[in-house]
Amino acid sequence: MRFVHTADWQLGMTRRVLGARPPKEAAGGLTGEAQARFAQARLDAVSALGRLADERGAAFVLVCGDVFESNLVGPDVVARACEALAAFRTPVLLLPGNHDPADAACVLRRPDFARRCPPHVTVLDTPGVHEVAPGVEVVAAPWRSKHPLTDLVGEQLTALEPAPPGTLRVLAGHGELDVLDPDDDEPARIRRDGVLAALADGRVHYVALGDRHSTWVDAADDRIRHAGTPEVTDFDEVDPGNVLVVDLDVHAARVTTEPVGRWRFVRHDARLDTDDDLEALDAWLAAQPDKERAAVRLALVGTLSLRQRGRLDDLLAAHEHAFAAVEVLAQHSDLATVPDDADLDDLDLHGFAADAATELFAAARGAPGETPDEARDALRLLHRLVGTPR
Amino acid sequence: MRLHRIRLRDFRGVHDREVTLAERGVTVLQGDNEVGKTSTVAALDLLFDAADSSRRAEIRAAQPAGVDAGPEVEAEVSTGPYRFVYRKRWLRRPRTELHVLAPVPEQLTGADAHARVSAILDETMDRVLWRGLRVEQHTAVGQADLGGQDALTRALDRAATGGSAARPDPSADDGLVERAVEELRRYRTPSGRATGELRAADVRLAAAEAEYDRCRAALEAVERDVAARDRLDGDAASVRARRRAHAAEVAELEDRWAGLQSRLREVETARGRAVLARERAETARERREARDALVAAVEADADLAARAAEALAAHEGEHTAARDERDARRCADAAAREASATARRRADDTARAVSAARDRAELADLAERLRRVEEAEAGRTAAERLLAATSVDADDLADLEDLARDLLRAEAARDAAAARVELVAPAALTVEVDGETVVLAPGETRVLPVAGSRSLSVPGVLDVRVRPGLDEAGRDDAVRERARELAQRCDELGVADLDAARAARRRADDAARRADEHRAALARELAGHGDAAALRAAHDAVRERLGDTGPADLFSVAEPVASPVDVAPLRRAADGAREAADDAARRADEAAAACRAAEDAVRDADTRAAVLAERAADARHAHVRRAEELRAAREAEPDADLAAAEDERRARARDAEREHEAMAAALADDDPDTVEARVVNARAVDERLAAEAARLEREHAETTGRLQAAGLEGWHDQHAAAATELEAAVRDHDAVARRAAAAQRLHDTLARHRERVRRSYVAPFRAQVERLARIVFGASLSLEIDEDLRITHRTLDGTTVAFSALSSGAQEQLGLCARLACAALVDPADGVPVVIDDALGHTDPERLSRLGAVFTAATAADGAAQVIVLTCTPERYHGIGAATVVALAPSRRPGERERDREAPPPVDDTPLRAPGTVVDLPRAPRAG
Repeated sequence: MRFVHTADWQLGMTRRVLGARPPKEAAGGLTGEAQARFAQARLDAVSALGRLADERGAAFVLVCGDVFESNLVGPDVVARACEALAAFRTPVLLLPGNHDPADAACVLRRPDFARRCPPHVTVLDTPGVHEVAPGVEVVAAPWRSKHPLTDLVGEQLTALEPAPPGTLRVLAGHGELDVLDPDDDEPARIRRDGVLAALADGRVHYVALGDRHSTWVDAADDRIRHAGTPEVTDFDEVDPGNVLVVDLDVHAARVTTEPVGRWRFVRHDARLDTDDDLEALDAWLAAQPDKERAAVRLALVGTLSLRQRGRLDDLLAAHEHAFAAVEVLAQHSDLATVPDDADLDDLDLHGFAADAATELFAAARGAPGETPDEARDALRLLHRLVGTPR
Repeated sequence: MRLHRIRLRDFRGVHDREVTLAERGVTVLQGDNEVGKTSTVAALDLLFDAADSSRRAEIRAAQPAGVDAGPEVEAEVSTGPYRFVYRKRWLRRPRTELHVLAPVPEQLTGADAHARVSAILDETMDRVLWRGLRVEQHTAVGQADLGGQDALTRALDRAATGGSAARPDPSADDGLVERAVEELRRYRTPSGRATGELRAADVRLAAAEAEYDRCRAALEAVERDVAARDRLDGDAASVRARRRAHAAEVAELEDRWAGLQSRLREVETARGRAVLARERAETARERREARDALVAAVEADADLAARAAEALAAHEGEHTAARDERDARRCADAAAREASATARRRADDTARAVSAARDRAELADLAERLRRVEEAEAGRTAAERLLAATSVDADDLADLEDLARDLLRAEAARDAAAARVELVAPAALTVEVDGETVVLAPGETRVLPVAGSRSLSVPGVLDVRVRPGLDEAGRDDAVRERARELAQRCDELGVADLDAARAARRRADDAARRADEHRAALARELAGHGDAAALRAAHDAVRERLGDTGPADLFSVAEPVASPVDVAPLRRAADGAREAADDAARRADEAAAACRAAEDAVRDADTRAAVLAERAADARHAHVRRAEELRAAREAEPDADLAAAEDERRARARDAEREHEAMAAALADDDPDTVEARVVNARAVDERLAAEAARLEREHAETTGRLQAAGLEGWHDQHAAAATELEAAVRDHDAVARRAAAAQRLHDTLARHRERVRRSYVAPFRAQVERLARIVFGASLSLEIDEDLRITHRTLDGTTVAFSALSSGAQEQLGLCARLACAALVDPADGVPVVIDDALGHTDPERLSRLGAVFTAATAADGAAQVIVLTCTPERYHGIGAATVVALAPSRRPGERERDREAPPPVDDTPLRAPGTVVDLPRAPRAG
């Protein structure tokens, strides 16, 4: 029996790094244009995995939670998701996760979803065993509220009898395993021991999980898997952008990981002290492929002169336009701009202007009782104004 | 920069002229109006500023009228290391040529030449200072704006720092502060308010925060609704369970309550019966009591009738006694009335007797009085008759007396004036004087006045006739006249002489007195009666009253009838009779009153007898009727039956009441109140649960509705967009705020340092200006100069005056001093010519001569700037010792002379001889 295991489509998600406004209003920052392309990419990934399922002859596509980013996504998001699902020929099972729990506001029960939902799509909003095909059962552990107080998967597993002979059982759950986040007090963490036990005594044959956006397999039993998100959502994800094609029998699962996502969220740490460092950063940025589908987050450390700082600003501004986003992470960057004597000489000032510049330099170097950042900014401005032709 | 020569061709009124200027010191260009002095300076500006292709208004204005030639300017200039000849022609065949002579020869034309000259000028001179040091024609010589002049600033900087600082690139700080201000103005207004980008960032941030808050609130509302839905579901289930549990309890209580209610109804019936029996017993008792009362009433009525009859009988005796008393009173009353009438008649008789006696006395009195009246009237009439006969009244007598006195006076006057005859008789002698015999005693002298003729005779012896003279005769006539008047008056009065008149007068007065006496007597007698007739009428009336009709004879009337002695006893008798009559009347009145009282008593007794009779009849009647009633009642139901019925019914009522009490006590033992309270409560609980269930259902429906609506709002998308926008807005705001702070910092720092430097520039500039100004104003002068290098105050001889308050002349002079001070201060390499176009119109000759010294002093230094003075009144500048004077004459085209209306000035003879060529060459300096 073959099926496609996926999760965390997060339809309706926006990323702040991708900007908010049309270009003219964004004051030189990132624009909302990337945001729209990103939203489309998420839908494209869904369509891609649908085609994959059709091609591979999967029995069904199991989406383990977080189909939507929120229960409160707009009707446009719902409509486009339904359009994408309608193109599937394979049946689809949608499990409510922590982002779209089966509470009173559940998007999967909303009239606009119900009206457009294609017939081959089933919402697993009631917990328990669902027979999805002859001899194939899916045990659903849907989220019914945003903050469940128990291990929902464990609850389902405890209530189960061993599967009848000839019946394959797949558990569909959403949430982190306790081994992945052992120090957490979260009561809804999935107890791995219970899962392993259920697999061992044949109550279930595969535990399909969602919530973790990176593709992951349990070290002890490779039938416990997180499919990860089919399209990247954040910089800290290890291996996103995949779906799992699972060939399952009573004894084992053969899983192939299929990439469907096309975007990349890249974090880059760089030390900047010399002009060589700047050139290296420039080169690294230039070397990135598919820049229009890449968001870069830079964590910069080091000390630059006024001139070098200006060069860095120019460099970043130049690359910014090619990438979907280039972000310098303020809280992880420790980049000091310290003017040196060469900067002062560059200015080539005389008279009172030279005196003023000297005073600002002293302040920028951190003289006591000063605000070096402001002084540095003032010096950069002075640099620019002196460079301006008369 | 130094100007060596300027050549103008077809420029305004100038056909062709070249002016060569002194390289050092002052060059005075003098010439008449419209000779083209100002054009020379304007041409220089155009040469440096306007490209040959320009068609600016100034250039078109420079085109000479009616000539097919473009204005052309050529100048030879040295500036910095350069020396060049620069020529331009506009409008017609425009052309630009540049010949750089030093340091490296160059030849350029067209736009290249223009650009090269601009570059050279920018590099070597301060073009703003060039304009600042100029004094235009017809404008007041105010203060030049020297604060921003770089060349001057450099010079002052040099002066302030001791001349050691060399500035390899002096243009680096040009306009830096202005650019910093510009940068700052992108963020903040001059008053410090946010503007431009900063304001936009502020606005964006505020809007983003508001939008974010709105979306978050909406999201939270949805969250609350979701939680509420869960809670409502739980509540509804629990309410349903409670309702089910409660239903059984309600049913059990309702059964018990139904049983108790039927027993309650039985007790109620028994109570009704008892009440009825008791009511009946009461009715029987009432009837028996009514019979007893009737019997008592009959007895009372009989007693009452008997007592009324008794009272009537008792009253009869009283009644009779009253009637007897009344009759006796009536007799007494009649007797008293008779006695009273008799006494009254007697009193009347005595009173009449008294009255008659009094009348008779009065009649006698009146008669006597009448008699006296008659007498008085007779006397008065006699006296009045006598009085009427007298012809001499008091006035007449007075006239007579006057006439007599006049006569005497006349006689006296005559006698006094008359001659006198003195008769002296030695012996007794008898003489006749005027017929009278006069006896003269011996020795007696008798004097005889001679008035009129007098005759004196001794009888028989001698007759002497003495006749008065003429005067004396006149006096005698007057005497005679008086005598005649007197006699005549006496005749008129009917008297013999004065004495007779006097006697007549006395008689008349006597008669008048007697008449008065009689009138007084008459008035006395008639007092109280008016006149005699009234008195007589009174007398007649009295007599008639007495019944005496005798003749009205006075004397008979006067006959006394009764004497007053008779009247007194009569009066006493009358008084006694009257008192007796009064007593009798009083007694009659008392008897009448007693009679009336008796009559009243009889009437009262009658009334009372009638009342008592009526009352007795009523009592009798009532008794009869009541007795009849009792008889009828007893006939219907005897007394004994009534008593028996009462006893029987009372017993029955007691039985019914006992039964009811027993049943009620039995019911109370089962505590129906508690059961009822519980039933009521159970029903209320059921209702409350039903209401609760309905409320939950309603809230559930509402919440569901809200959630459905919220689902279609896309709150998550809006919230995400708002959050993204907020973050971007915060970032943007931080960045802009940072840039704004940097701009502020840079501006503040630069401005602070520039202020400091400018303050240090003030001292050398002031020293230079004061040096020059003291030549004009004297050694006591001192000036205050602000950081923009403007003169703010002048102090002279201890008096400080603001610059704007100075006279036009003093302002002009100080302004000139400031410009010349610049010229003296500025580095020779940076220097520009000071151009003064016909200034000093406000300066008096004394100051003008001193200003000449200022010019010399300012340009004396080696390398000091050129000073070019344009004037049409050269005498203003005669005081400048080191001046090179260039006289300008009109430069006309051939054939233009005919249009001149005025004779050309004498200095013009040279140009006239050779028009159209280079004519106005500089003269030799007047003074070295």
